Amino acid sequence: MNEKPLTMVKILKIINECEQVKSFHLQTKKMQEKLKSLPKPGQFIMVWVPGVDEIPMSLSGCDDKGNWTIMVKNVGECTKALHGLKIGDLLGVRGPFGNYFSISTSRSILNVLVGGGTGVAPLRFLARTLKDNECDFIMIEGAKTKSKIINIDEFKDLSHSIIYCTEDGSFGFKGTTVDAFRNLLDKEEFSDKKAVRVYTCGPEKMMHEIFIECKKRNLQLQASLERIMRCGLGLCGLCVLDPLGLLVCKDGPIFDSETLKKLTDFGRFKMDFTGKKVSL
Amino acid sequence: MLEVNISGLNLKSPLILASGILGVSNSLFKRIFDAGAGAITTKSIGPNPRKGFRNPSIIEIYPDTFLNSVGLGNPGIDYFIKEIKKTKNQGITLIVSVFGDSIETYADVALKAANAGADALELNISCPHSKVSSIGADKNLTFKLVKKLKEIIKIPLFIKLNPNVTNICEIALEAERASADAVVAINTVEAMIIDIHARRPILSHGSGGLSGRAIHPIAIKKVFDLYKVLKIPIIGCGGIFEWKDAIEFFLAGASAVQIGSALSRGIDIITKINEGIENFLKTNKFKSINEIKGLSHEYELQEVPEYE
Repeated sequence: MNEKPLTMVKILKIINECEQVKSFHLQTKKMQEKLKSLPKPGQFIMVWVPGVDEIPMSLSGCDDKGNWTIMVKNVGECTKALHGLKIGDLLGVRGPFGNYFSISTSRSILNVLVGGGTGVAPLRFLARTLKDNECDFIMIEGAKTKSKIINIDEFKDLSHSIIYCTEDGSFGFKGTTVDAFRNLLDKEEFSDKKAVRVYTCGPEKMMHEIFIECKKRNLQLQASLERIMRCGLGLCGLCVLDPLGLLVCKDGPIFDSETLKKLTDFGRFKMDFTGKKVSL
Repeated sequence: MLEVNISGLNLKSPLILASGILGVSNSLFKRIFDAGAGAITTKSIGPNPRKGFRNPSIIEIYPDTFLNSVGLGNPGIDYFIKEIKKTKNQGITLIVSVFGDSIETYADVALKAANAGADALELNISCPHSKVSSIGADKNLTFKLVKKLKEIIKIPLFIKLNPNVTNICEIALEAERASADAVVAINTVEAMIIDIHARRPILSHGSGGLSGRAIHPIAIKKVFDLYKVLKIPIIGCGGIFEWKDAIEFFLAGASAVQIGSALSRGIDIITKINEGIENFLKTNKFKSINEIKGLSHEYELQEVPEYE
C-alpha cells in the first residue's frame, strides 16, 4: 500500500468561485512525485487546518504538474478557517483516498454530469478528464440563485456542454437540477440515440432523486457520497453505509446504481461523531 | 483446526476484531465476522454518548503504523443495546468493550451489555489518551474494579492491559487474582508526532496511541513476559498484518489474537491471515493453535552474566 503521510503544502492560488465558495490550488507536486499515479476524478483528500480541524474534501482538479485543487464552501468552523487563509499559507494534506468515477472512452456513450452546489467540485475534475479523452458529455450545474452558481469564467471553454440552472430562475434554466435532468432526458434526441451514463454529486436528497429518475429510465448512475470520517483509511467506521457495511472512504466515495439500490442509508441516514445514526 | 476456546468461549478462528476498529455498527460486525473473524470486539462503550476528540484523530505515520486519539467517542450504552441485540440475533460472537468514569458506571455499562446478550466483556482500563488509563496503571484500582465486576457479571471478563506502565505483569497478576478470565495485551503505546512546518503536534489532542506494525515486537515481548507469570489465557494484540505475526503471538504464549490496524488494507485481510495460519499448522503437522501456544518458552535464553 502507498504511504500517504500527512504533508504540509502551500496554497498556490485562491479563486473566488461564487458567494461563499473558494477554490484552493495546492502545491502538492512533491507529494505527488512519491505516489504511483495521479489522482482520479471522484477521489478525496483529508485537509488539515492546524489548530482547527481536519475534513474530507473531494478533489476538483489536478494539473499536469501534480498540483491538486479543492473547492470549499464556507459552511462550518474548518471551512471558515480555510476561507481565511492566504496564498503561501500551509495546509496539511493526506491522500488521495477512495475509489473514483469509472469512465468509458467509448464514443457511443453520452455522459451526463449532475452537480448541485459545491457538488460540482469532483464533476469539474471529471468533465476535464472526459474532455481530455474526447468523450461526449453534458454537465448540469445547479444552485439556488445566480450568486451561488460556481464561477463560469473558469469553465468557459466547456460552456457549450454545460446547462446552468437556478431554482429562482435568476440564471439559466429555471428549476432544480433534477428538473433540468428530466427535461434533458425527455428531449427526443435522447430517446435511443446513445447509451447514457450519469454521474452525480451534491446534496444527498438531490442525488437520491436523480437515482430514482435513473432507475425509472434504466440508466447507469454513479453517485459521490459524503459521510463524517476520522481516518479516511478504513479504520474508524463512522462512514459506514447500512445494511451492507460499506465504507465511504474505502468502498466509495463513488457508488453505482446497483449498490445504491441496496443501501437503505442512501438519502436518509448518516452516522455522527458519537457513532449514532442520524437523519441526513 | 482454527478453533480456540478462551475461558469457555468457543471461537471459529483465533482472530478477533480489536476494539476501536470499525466497531460501532452491526453491518460492519457482520461483514468482518463473515470474512472469518472468530469474534468481534466493539468500540469501547461508555455510560453516555461522547464525541471524542476533533480531527486529526487517526493518521498513518509510517506504512502500516498509525497514531490515534479518538478519545473514546461512542454512542453510549443505552443507544448501543439495540446493536448488541441485532448482532446476537445474527449469531455473531460478540465481545463488548466497556468503560466508565467510576466503578459504579463501569458496572452499570457492563451489566447492560451483558443483559443485552454480549458473549464476553472487555474492560478498557488502558486507553492511553483518556482518564481510564489511570485505572490500568494502578494494580490496586485494577483489582478493585475487576473484583466488583466479577461479582455482578457471569459472562467472561477480559482485561485490556495498558503497556504504558513500569510493570505490566504486576497489574495483570492483580487482575488474575480478582478472577479476570483473560487479559488482552496490548493496548496502544503512548506516542506523539510533531509537524516541523506547523511546529505543533498533529493530533488535535497532541498525545495519542501508536498501533500497527511498529508495536508488534513490543506486544510480543509483553505477551512473552505475561505468559511466564499468568495462569489465565492471554489474547495478543498489536501489529498483526500477516499470518506470521499471529503465529509469533501464539509462540509467545497467546491463546488468541486481535487484529485492528491491518483492516486499513481491507476486511478480506482476515480471510488471508486465517488461511496462512491454517497452512502453517498443516505444514508443520500441528492439529491446533493450542499445540503451538507458548512453544518459544521451551528454549533457554542467556541470562545476564555476573560481574567477573
